[in-house]
Amino acid sequence: MKRITLCSVVVMAAFGLTGVGLAADSGPRMADGHPDFNGTWDNGGGIDFLQPQKLAGGSVCVTGCAPPPGAAPPPPPPAAGAAAPARPGPDRPRYKPEFQAKVKALEANQVKTDPVLRCLPPGVPRIGPPDKIVQTAREIVFLYEDVSGPFFRIVPLDGRKRADESETYLGDARGRWEGDTLVVETGNFNEETWLTDDGSFHTAGLKVTERLWRDGKALEYRAVANDPKVLAEPWQLRPRRLMPATLELAEPAPCIDQDLENVVDGTSHDNPR
Amino acid sequence: MTVSNALRGLAAALGFALYLPAAFAHHSVAGQFDVGKTVKITGTVSRMDWINPHTQVYVDVKEPAGVVTWKLESLPVAMMRKAGLTKQLLIGDGQEVVVTLHPARNGTEHLGYILSLKYKDGRTYQFSRDPNGTATASGGAGT
Repeated sequence: MKRITLCSVVVMAAFGLTGVGLAADSGPRMADGHPDFNGTWDNGGGIDFLQPQKLAGGSVCVTGCAPPPGAAPPPPPPAAGAAAPARPGPDRPRYKPEFQAKVKALEANQVKTDPVLRCLPPGVPRIGPPDKIVQTAREIVFLYEDVSGPFFRIVPLDGRKRADESETYLGDARGRWEGDTLVVETGNFNEETWLTDDGSFHTAGLKVTERLWRDGKALEYRAVANDPKVLAEPWQLRPRRLMPATLELAEPAPCIDQDLENVVDGTSHDNPR
Repeated sequence: MTVSNALRGLAAALGFALYLPAAFAHHSVAGQFDVGKTVKITGTVSRMDWINPHTQVYVDVKEPAGVVTWKLESLPVAMMRKAGLTKQLLIGDGQEVVVTLHPARNGTEHLGYILSLKYKDGRTYQFSRDPNGTATASGGAGT
């Protein structure tokens, strides 16, 4: 019995170590020995939730498409009077009680108050994981293709500071390696952006910590936003797993709002980030 | 890509949010366009603005009194690219196109949101399902 127990412990330990080894597959590496994050990434959010169907004769269906042959039929609409299905689980920061009314007020008029819909930068972490990463030993550059335009963030790895230290939409990022994990800490934000699409304002005290590491071909992304002046607790965003993308970034398209003057109902845009 | 999750934002907003239950029905498409009405027009694409947060398609329609240009909103650039669509594909070499759309909610004439484009050569680009079934109007303006 004692022998079996000892064997079990040895096997479990070996299995555990092997499991850790597999999970820690850090993929390709740079010449400096750090994991290689270079590439264009499908971040599983933003437009990447779209699955357009390319049909015969050059036709394309983007949304509302008929199910392909053999696919299960879509669920029937709820019966009249039935309760609406539960909304997807929230991925939203929790505010101190005295600030919740302000969030609701901004959300209630989102189409007219959301900075992104007026072509302003989305801020961090609302902008999400990067769409493309360019990496050197001295810095890492995050590139984004967002609905309000293209954006980039330069993440110095050598501790250098910007010459202009005024507050910005995307803040000042500092990067460092913790083993094979890239840790990016960003602060010095202005107060013109939201944390999410639904009125989640923040103060200049916002700090965001992002962590990225490779898992084989994939890139794992985690982010925590904290603004102790208004948030009841640090907000940990839902985990994101980035996969190599085939669609390269394109020349940036300008952002020119042409909608707001014709909006009749300015309530929520209902952006399910 | 990031739609910033706005797209997920806009996307959802633009595309399929139209057809989600009422609890989801507050978004900019319904805030600007009458999703209870569907109109069909026939014309040619005379201009395409490849801009965010929404691309804009201009369609010339011949009417008895002359040519009327409709200004039609569609998906953000990143979503068009994800679908493999380009400015040139949407212009369609000036061939005839049937556009299914939701008209403006505030009564502005010749302003709409595109549900689909069907070109004379047989190509169809569908951006949203028509919640009203078959459109009742066809040819020329028809709000």
